[in-house]
Amino acid sequence: MRYPEQFDVIVIGGGHAGTEAAAAAARMGVRTLLLTQNIETIGQMSCNPAIGGIGKSHLVAEIDALDGVMGRATDQAGIHFRVLNSSKGPAVRAVRAQADRALYRNAVRKILENQPCLRIFQQSVVDLLVEGDRVVGCKTQMDLDFYAPCVVLTTGTFLDGKIHIGHEQHPGGRAGDAPSNLLAQRLRALPFRVGRLKTGTPPRIDGRTVDFTKLEQQPGDDPRPVMSSMGQRSEHPAQTQCHITYTNDRTHKIIRDNLHRSAMFSGAIEGVGPRYCPSIEDKVVRFADKTQHQIFIEPEGLTTTELYPNGVSTSLPFDVQLAFLRTMRGFEQAHISRPGYAIEYDYFDPRDLTYSLQTKALEGLFFAGQINGTTGYEEAGAQGLLAGINAARKVKGQSFWEPRRDEAYIGVLVDDLINLGTTEPYRMFTSRAEFRLRLRQDNADQRLTPLGIDMGLVGTQRRQHFQVKMRQLQVLSEDFARQSILPGSDLDAVLALNLRKETRLLDALRRPEVSADGVAQALAVDTNDEVAMGVLRQLEIETKYAGYIRRQDDEIAKIRRHEGMQIPPELDYLGIDGLSNELRQKLDQQRPASLARAARIQGMTPAALSIILIHAKKVVSA
Amino acid sequence: MTDAVDQDLICAIATPPGQGGIGIVRLSGPGAKRVAEKICARGLVSRKAVYCEFKNAAERLDDGVALWFPAPNSFTGEEVVELQGHGGPVVQQQILNALCSLGARLAKPGEFSERAFHNGKLDLAQAEAVADLISSTSIAAARAAVNTLRGDFSNKVNDLIERITTLRVQVEAAIDFPDEELEILEQAGVVEALKAIVQAHKDIIESANQGRLLSSGLQVALIGAPNVGKSSLLNALAGEEAAIVTDIPGTTRDLLKVDLLINNLPIRLVDTAGLRDSEDTIEQQGVARARAQIAQADIVLLVVAVPELTDSGVKEQIQELREQFSGAQGPPPEILVVVNKTDLAAPPDLDQRVNHAAVSARTGEGLTELKSKLQKLAGYTDDATEFSARARHVDALKAAAAQVDASLLALQGGLGVELVAEELSLAQRYLGRITGDVSADDLLGRIFSEFCIGK
Repeated sequence: MRYPEQFDVIVIGGGHAGTEAAAAAARMGVRTLLLTQNIETIGQMSCNPAIGGIGKSHLVAEIDALDGVMGRATDQAGIHFRVLNSSKGPAVRAVRAQADRALYRNAVRKILENQPCLRIFQQSVVDLLVEGDRVVGCKTQMDLDFYAPCVVLTTGTFLDGKIHIGHEQHPGGRAGDAPSNLLAQRLRALPFRVGRLKTGTPPRIDGRTVDFTKLEQQPGDDPRPVMSSMGQRSEHPAQTQCHITYTNDRTHKIIRDNLHRSAMFSGAIEGVGPRYCPSIEDKVVRFADKTQHQIFIEPEGLTTTELYPNGVSTSLPFDVQLAFLRTMRGFEQAHISRPGYAIEYDYFDPRDLTYSLQTKALEGLFFAGQINGTTGYEEAGAQGLLAGINAARKVKGQSFWEPRRDEAYIGVLVDDLINLGTTEPYRMFTSRAEFRLRLRQDNADQRLTPLGIDMGLVGTQRRQHFQVKMRQLQVLSEDFARQSILPGSDLDAVLALNLRKETRLLDALRRPEVSADGVAQALAVDTNDEVAMGVLRQLEIETKYAGYIRRQDDEIAKIRRHEGMQIPPELDYLGIDGLSNELRQKLDQQRPASLARAARIQGMTPAALSIILIHAKKVVSA
Repeated sequence: MTDAVDQDLICAIATPPGQGGIGIVRLSGPGAKRVAEKICARGLVSRKAVYCEFKNAAERLDDGVALWFPAPNSFTGEEVVELQGHGGPVVQQQILNALCSLGARLAKPGEFSERAFHNGKLDLAQAEAVADLISSTSIAAARAAVNTLRGDFSNKVNDLIERITTLRVQVEAAIDFPDEELEILEQAGVVEALKAIVQAHKDIIESANQGRLLSSGLQVALIGAPNVGKSSLLNALAGEEAAIVTDIPGTTRDLLKVDLLINNLPIRLVDTAGLRDSEDTIEQQGVARARAQIAQADIVLLVVAVPELTDSGVKEQIQELREQFSGAQGPPPEILVVVNKTDLAAPPDLDQRVNHAAVSARTGEGLTELKSKLQKLAGYTDDATEFSARARHVDALKAAAAQVDASLLALQGGLGVELVAEELSLAQRYLGRITGDVSADDLLGRIFSEFCIGK
């Protein structure tokens, strides 16, 4: 049966990519349908119950700056907030929140259900509807056909998912959920390169069987940070504690003695796992000289006793899981409520995508999230947002939004994926961003909210909030540029400047030993006034980074010149002398649209770029 | 990122290498006039030849004519200045150095032509030729880089890159994984490591011999007893090379400086004719200054002559010389014994361990062999491409060193570790121009293999 209503954008999957994609498209006013296997699991955190962290909260802030879901939901569900890297500079500071799974799901679902232009339907998708080389819709299990010119596929680990516990294996998209095998078969028939990845989760523990008196406590930060730039502490639910325990010699011995029973070590798993999130058996083998490993014990929520022991993901059989857990301090009597497991799943080589996340093979089909070989809620959400935006823009006949590496972590993420592909689940780190000093969590709104407003993504409330902040920042920076401090004045003394000559307040703020808080005290600004302090801190960051930012701006200006140098799509790379065979093949395959993009291809040299440019100019002027 | 179409200021010697009547240094890009006027110490006039002295700060380098072509009416279509002086390679190199210190950079092979093409100064037919030129010179440059990257120099550069990478692994791991219990260097350890890298940079720049040769020429001192034929040897070496002979100020009248070129290798020959102990205080001061000049030499040519020559006598003189230099700063000069006047008598057999060459300054016999020995001692190969490849390496090393210095300052100044990381990543990018980039993913790979990450 053909569903009676026509849609503009269909999003398949209700995880973190799917919800951001659906919400973004709907915010832009196009008729959007979210198809999910199970409405109850919309916004489900399948792995650890936490949002944010280094590099990741940067992505959340960017989603937030475009009025997305993740940051707002985190403030409604966060039960433990910390600022990471608080002793380091603002560019690498990040917020990490433990979230109550149920509260998080509810918050996401509430946002979606209140979103105009968005319909939700519970049904498993079994096929894509294709006409020629474009997608026109999809077919569900009960033979319902939905039609839309754009389809965003966000199927996570569900494509041909296989769960491993020891030598046992069974199909599954997530413990307790079925995989999407019909769709996987169908997609494998399309001209996409497919690979296998794996990831793992630890066993969950019943908190009533843990002796907390033996554990190190890890409280949340005071003052407590918020995730969204519009977040309020008053939104946060009750706060709780995390705990820390450690593995020991006995833990390691049990793991070593049973390695042959691990799915990963017995060769049952062909997929590649992430280097930064190794299983406990991996850690014990690869870092054999370490006598202990730190395990963070994270609460799953306020209304459950389940705990998530972060750091012991494993594919060992259940009896081994239980035995090694019980060697750890505090876990002597631990009861496992759900066994840990490794999961293998299909992903599509992201090099078959364009910067908009539309596939090269099928017009109107977009991929976002783990399907592209990434890991993490934040990475998934960021891609979902981008795919949703571009699907909506395509429907509206607008050009794609393709954020650059110097604009957003989303740009870094997509650029890395489609140019370099990935061989392990891709996770964001700040070290991936060469313009890290510009791409901060604190200025995500300044970088992206104006764009979001232009694209029709940003609601009235956020727009006004942003405009107020910008006005205050402008007033304050003009103020600081005008006011000066005289040597020997009270301000000179209070700030311990030891000035020799009259100095602008702005220049004083540039000094490493002068902080926004110090200035606030000296100027009798109320440090509890969060808005005023926020603006003052923003000014401090911008002032202190100014020199570095200017240098990066020069670099960016160079790149943009290359961005402006378009390469005609018909350029015959195979016929260009002076390029290595390998480069010719890569160029022929990737057909970069501009010189800047050609420069991103692995193995590219300045000389090769010059040659490409000359030939590009020849084609244009011929 | 490439700089294929960067609009920065580039400079290069535009005339063929070697000694000629006129040598032209060309400067192209925005600010060409401003930078050139600092060298010329006077205003330039559009498309008019202006006579001036070329100076680096107060030091006079050469004199000649400066020509300013405002954009777009120039060879490259950009603002261009030509400095036309005398054709000595040492002088021209010094002018390039002065320009680089004012913000220009050395042009890559074919870069002037490339810019001319981009600015529509070359027609379509010429485009192919430019592309060919770039590809052939880049292949040659790549080959040269590979050649250069064998041996001592490359080991040192690679070692430097390794040390910076190791430090970056530490710093980036501390930034990206603050919750892990990583055994990361404390601040004091990073400061020590940075200081060691700064020192290593200095050492390697110092030992990047070819680069220094380019900028100052090979310093060679002629030493020997009176009447062994030092002057005639100097004349014989210089004779065919159009040497410029000048007095060195501040030394006695007996000290002569000669700039000459042997197989494209710029050489500054200092002749110490008549350098001997003196009773006269003024002359003593002169002698001391002359000795200091000699102590700076890369190579000492110890001239001896037949027939009054014995193996033991030569060894004695070498020993004496070594003692003289033992207290001096820097590495002692290499000693090459030149046995002169072979036209008068056959030279005696000298110990093979003593590096020597037999010549007749009068007949010219053995001069070719002497030159090639000099060249070999200098570690110089007669390949212009490799020569310039090395010069670019030294450039990259200096730029990287400045960044490492900046990261040390950032750390000691109490700035955030992310700024230390920023300077280090730039330092690595400069060094990457020599050996290829270390990508973010390479770095992460190192972090994951060295630290147990993963909560």
